[in-house]
Parts: sequence; structure tokens; C-alpha cells
Amino acid sequence: MRVLAHSYVCPNGTFLNGKLIFDTKAEENPLKFTYQQLGTEYPKFYKMDVLSKMAFIGTELLLPFFPESLDTENDLQLLFANASSSQHTDNQFVDSYEKLHNPSPSLFVYTLPNIVTGELCIRYKWYGENCFFIEKQFNAKNYVEWAQMGFNKGNTLCLCGWIEAKTTGEQECFLFLLSPSRETQTSTETELSTLIKQYRNE
Amino acid sequence: MNKSVYIQYLSLVTPLGTTVEQHLEAFRNGSSGIRIAEKSGFQDSSLPLAKRTEITSNRYDSLLREGLENIQMTLPGNTAGKIAVIVSSTKGNLDLLPEDAFSSTRTIIRQFFPEAPVFIISNACISGVIAINTAADYLLADTYDQVLVTGIDAISEFVSYGFQSLFALSSEACKPFDKSRNGTTLGEGCGIVLVSKEKMLNHAVLYKGGSSSNDANHISGPSRTGEGLVRSIERTFKRSGLSASDIDFISAHGTATVFNDEMESIAFGRTQLDRAPLNSMKGYFGHTLGAAGILETIMSIVSMEQNLLFPNLGFSETGISVPLNIIQHLESREVKTVLKTASGFGGGNASLILQKEG
Repeated sequence: MRVLAHSYVCPNGTFLNGKLIFDTKAEENPLKFTYQQLGTEYPKFYKMDVLSKMAFIGTELLLPFFPESLDTENDLQLLFANASSSQHTDNQFVDSYEKLHNPSPSLFVYTLPNIVTGELCIRYKWYGENCFFIEKQFNAKNYVEWAQMGFNKGNTLCLCGWIEAKTTGEQECFLFLLSPSRETQTSTETELSTLIKQYRNE
Repeated sequence: MNKSVYIQYLSLVTPLGTTVEQHLEAFRNGSSGIRIAEKSGFQDSSLPLAKRTEITSNRYDSLLREGLENIQMTLPGNTAGKIAVIVSSTKGNLDLLPEDAFSSTRTIIRQFFPEAPVFIISNACISGVIAINTAADYLLADTYDQVLVTGIDAISEFVSYGFQSLFALSSEACKPFDKSRNGTTLGEGCGIVLVSKEKMLNHAVLYKGGSSSNDANHISGPSRTGEGLVRSIERTFKRSGLSASDIDFISAHGTATVFNDEMESIAFGRTQLDRAPLNSMKGYFGHTLGAAGILETIMSIVSMEQNLLFPNLGFSETGISVPLNIIQHLESREVKTVLKTASGFGGGNASLILQKEG
């Protein structure tokens, strides 16, 4: 298995393949700023929750690295995970009925973590397989296992994401594109574990 | 698929009871778990709900414990260490908000299966079907010998108010595929199946293959063409080496919202499945979200064992643009091969095929 490309979005900045692309340390609204810098026209972006916004930015940057020879419409699998599910929006939705006495449908539709992958599929017209896992922490071994299971059944490319938006303010989105190859699963695991540590400055 | 994968039911806890016999009886008699629940909706409105009234507090944790305690079988793999647990749930325990809603899930599973790795899948209403598909993938990759798949969601203010805000709830017990349907009815339950390499009990059937597909259309509305469901069904046919003519029964999703059921009818028409006997079980269980795929798979296995087709409770007059073969009366008939489908928010669609051995 091979890591074709990776991106990382957090409040401090947006990175592509390890390089800082947009520095947002001084920005009041880092995601809006980054979206504007991308120069992409997709007004739906403004309606999205934090998770979807981060995934949108991270994916836009990875697009040039998708192999053109593959049928991404059907054979691209999306494997996403996080620890806090849709917690950030969940708590906003609770406030909408407990504090404002008006349950908000536009918040409610984002109270599922897999809306993120849905938004990506809508944006890029991807009809492939999706799965969203809730995990205690980023676990490279699990992603590699899930991706391999997907390749075993005929998917040819896998977009993986660790995407977190906690009510405490912690936000990050680490995306990576996996393709089958001769590299061992263990070396891919080590690479992914190292990458996320570097991005997190650990 | 070169290797055999088996699936069998271990436990189900719903408003209809805690044993397969109780559920068989309810399905034979057309008894629904749905009742009007006073003051259960927003601003004390009344809602029809399929609620397990025996539970009075901590609904999610109680339901999960009840489901696990209800397992009637000793699992050999539990000691051998080659067993994993996958939990399918859309929301976990919402009482835990603003903190982690899934923390109690892991703690409770660990009390019953201390050695087993626990994976949680939260992918809206298709979670149950993709959890079974993932379990089979793990067996085929030789990572585990057995995977216990638990589907669970509990009734909550959060989800009720949310569906109310979308005007997606029916004013009476939901009527899947019926002309007068006007929304779904929420339910709760816990269902557990065992997916294994070896046949472990007499009621195990073969899992022949499965897949998912996204509609790429809208985050909270189904595709008008059924594109995602069509692609998932076609992919599942390809993976299982089976086709529409092999299907004896379809356990459809059938939420009873106007748009969902219409979408499914178009998708079944496009895949030449419109003549296959079909039901939605939402009229019995309500929509149990993360548990739906598991509970409906369990009752599909019961259909296969009993060679019985259960009626689509709540249906009387066709109200979809592609007429389907909706089961209206209890019918004895050989049920060898079953297609289970699910569709949900986020554009997800999933399917799997079960078949009797031999």
C-alpha cells in the first residue's frame, strides 16, 4: 500500500504533503479565509459544519494527486474516523431546542459524522463505498486494514480521513490517499503514524 | 467470494420482546411495537413511537446491556481471542453530551467481551448493513474468526425533535410504501448477530456479499433516480455472483417518508426487482436507525428459517410510481435468497445478500 498524498487542516494552517500552504495563525476565521484563498467557487461551503468545511479544503488540495487512470466515480472508497462523532454540531443542536426553544433543522442534518463523506461525494460525484468509524484515537493500523479490505473487494483507491471538531475547540483534519502497491502494510502504518505526529508537532 | 461466511442471530431486544419466538409471534399476527407516546415530542406534543416501556431511565446503556445479556450462546472465540465486536449506532448515548456520546458503549462491551477489539460504525441509517459487510470483510481478510455485530439506538428527545424539525415524522404509526404515508415513526432496539467463518448453530445462513454506494445527491434527501441504491445493489450482485432472478425476498428500508419510499421503488424497478416479494419492517419496529439493519437482518433470517413472508405492516394501497410486489398477507413459501437494503442521511445506500446453504 502506498500513500499517494496527504493534507492537514487545523486552525493554525493548512498543509499539503508536509508543506504549509496557508498560514492562518492570525486569522479570525481560518476556514473561511482558506476557502477564499483556494479560489474555488462552491457556495455550499458556507452552509457546511466545521467537519465538512475542513474535509472540503483538505480534499480540494489532494485532487491533483488522484490517478487519472482510475474510475474514481465508482471505485474510490472513503474511510473516515474520529473520536467525537458530530459532537460539535450535536451540542449546538441541543442549544437550539433547550436555550432557543426552536430545534434547528439546518443544524440537525449535520448531527451525523458521515455527512462529511456525503458532502464530499456530492461535490465530486463519487458513488463509491463509504464508512465512518468512531475510534478512541488515530490508529494507523486500522486504516491500513480497512483500506486493504476495500482493495480486496475491488476498490482501487482509498481516501482516508481523521477529522475532529470537539466542543472544547480542538480541530484537525488529516486526509491521506492510499493506493494498493507492493509496499508492506507495516511500512505504510509507520509512515502514517509519523506524518500525523509531524503535523501535530508531537 | 471463495470462502464461506455465515451469519446467525444471537439476540434482539425491542418493544416486541426479547426472544425470536416473541418476534415471530408478533410478525405472524401483524402486531406493531408502535404506540402513541404522550408528551414525547417537542413542546409536549404526542408522537407515535416504538418504545421499550420496560426501560425508564438511561435508555441507551440499559438497552445495550439487555441486548448483550440476552445472548443465549457461549461463544468459543471469546476465549480464543480471535473475536471482534462491531457496534452500529448513529448516536450512541446522547445523555452523555456535551461529552463523548460513545464512551459508555466501549465500557459496556468490554464488560461482556474483555479481550475483543471494539469497532464502532456510525454511518446514519445504513450503519447496520455496512457493519455486517465490514464484519465479513474482516473474516475474509483472516483478521478474525468471528465478529459480533451489535446494532443499537435508543429513543431520545434529540432525535425526536430533530425529525420533527424536518417534518419527517408520521402523525400515526408509519405506513411504508402506502399511498397515505406521511413520514416515519422512530423506534428503539438492540440486535446482535454473529458473523463467522464456521457454522456455529443450526440457524446460520450464508452471507453472500454486500456493498455500499453514495447517491452523491443531497445530505438529507434521497436521490430522485435511486442512483446510489441501484449502484449498491448491482455491486452486491456482482460480488455475490447472483442476480435479480435469484432473489426470493427483499427486506427493504422503507422509512415511510414520501421521498424515500418513492426512491426505493424506482431503484427496485431499475434493477428488475419490482416483482420480488418485499417488505419494510418499519411498521413493526419503527425506524430504529443504527439498529435497523441488524434487527431487519435478524427477521430476514427468521423468514428464511420459517419459509414465511411477513406482511408489510401499514400498507394497504400502493403509493409509489413503480409498483412493487409488497407483501400484504402472511405467506408460506420457500425463502432461499434474501436481499437486504438500507438508505440514509449523507446519501448512503447499502445492501447485502443472504442465502440458505445447499
